[in-house]
Amino acid sequence: MAEILVNVTGETCPIPLVEVRKAVKKAQSGDTIVITGTNQASKKEIPMAAKALTLKVLSIEESEGIWTIKILK
Amino acid sequence: MEKNIYLDNAAATRLDEKVLEAMTPSYFDNYSIATSEFGYSMGIDAKDALAEARKTLANRLGAEPEEFIFTSGSTESSNLALKGIALALGQKKGKHIIISKVEDFPVLYSARALEKEGFKIDYIDVDEFGFVNIDKLEKLITKETILVSIQHANQEIGTLQDIEKIGNLCWKKHTVFHTDATHSFTRVPIDVKDIPADLITVSAHTIHGPKGIGGLYIRKGTPIAKIMDGGFQEFNLRGGMDNITGAIGFAKAVDLVTEEENIRIKKMSKRIIELIFEKVPEVTLNGDLESRIPQNANISFHYVEGESITLHLDMYGISVSTGSACFSKSLEASHVIAAIGGDHERAHGSIRFSFGRYNTMEEVEYVVETLASVIKNLRIISPLGKEKEE
Repeated sequence: MAEILVNVTGETCPIPLVEVRKAVKKAQSGDTIVITGTNQASKKEIPMAAKALTLKVLSIEESEGIWTIKILK
Repeated sequence: MEKNIYLDNAAATRLDEKVLEAMTPSYFDNYSIATSEFGYSMGIDAKDALAEARKTLANRLGAEPEEFIFTSGSTESSNLALKGIALALGQKKGKHIIISKVEDFPVLYSARALEKEGFKIDYIDVDEFGFVNIDKLEKLITKETILVSIQHANQEIGTLQDIEKIGNLCWKKHTVFHTDATHSFTRVPIDVKDIPADLITVSAHTIHGPKGIGGLYIRKGTPIAKIMDGGFQEFNLRGGMDNITGAIGFAKAVDLVTEEENIRIKKMSKRIIELIFEKVPEVTLNGDLESRIPQNANISFHYVEGESITLHLDMYGISVSTGSACFSKSLEASHVIAAIGGDHERAHGSIRFSFGRYNTMEEVEYVVETLASVIKNLRIISPLGKEKEE
């Protein structure tokens, strides 16, 4: 089970979601996708997209303006 | 992603199996070039197959077979129409061409290329629904005008122009009239016995035919020069290998489009507009409610960006397109929405739903239900959003 890192720090909508979509397509079932970013709208948008794709959001954390979202494929 | 609801049929369509079936013998059994009567039998059969396909295409336009040439698609057809007329008449008559501001890229960029070669191009305005200002057009046509090119249906907002009126005006002023009918051909009847068009661009890719084949109707006697040099194919108007397989597929695709199908498709596009207006607040219909092609619905969703909508719908297995800048290869927002007076935000939030043979009314219901929830959520997180998080 691999961990796929997606760093979209400094990127704004819709780039983070585009990168997440690429990672989700590449990931195998059981892989974890770890996304880090700074755009606040993307922090809300990515879990929405995960729900649409019926993927499990494992955690959403934020520290000093940088958020990390973990999604299980 | 299990669902696959494809609502981008204005861009490309799924090939109909019957089209593939019609084309297959031309790949494996009858694959030669078209020869003259003096050639070998397979070549004569290929020639006959091409002639038969041409006849089908011409008949659908009410034209004679020798008035229709096959091309590689609508881009080449419109390039030939504009540049071929410019080459034939530029020195003899004048260097003035008129097109509308909402033309699709083949016409728009052919005109811009000619502008660089010293032709004067007038880009005529459209009103808020996308209709060309015909009074203004009349004033713009001069003795120097060699061509007017106004599309039949708009590629984004679906508005249908009154090409009979425009054509009559052009003929009254002794000017050649070209219309790009890529998005209306077979979906809306066109008969050249009634429509005074000299040149009509058509394509197979919008009607479940193969990609890479299109055509240009050229009325008998229209002065046009060849721009693709090579052999003497297509009545010596287009050099290059005949795409006989494509032509057979195009003809079959044309035969398969029926009035019943167009009515069914119209019901779906009408329903999606009704449902969106019922379930999603703050939306604007782009184009005219009545005078539009049956397969098109184009709506702007205020306070959200088109890219976000397309991305989120894609996650639910729904394919649509937007006039937003990042979506387009040009990285410019829709010139069509701008021409109908829409601001930046309206262009960026515009979504085109285009229907085809394989869509169903159940899909319409699912799309609107999903869309309503996606828009609501996006408005909450959008910096432009009006909804408040609960």
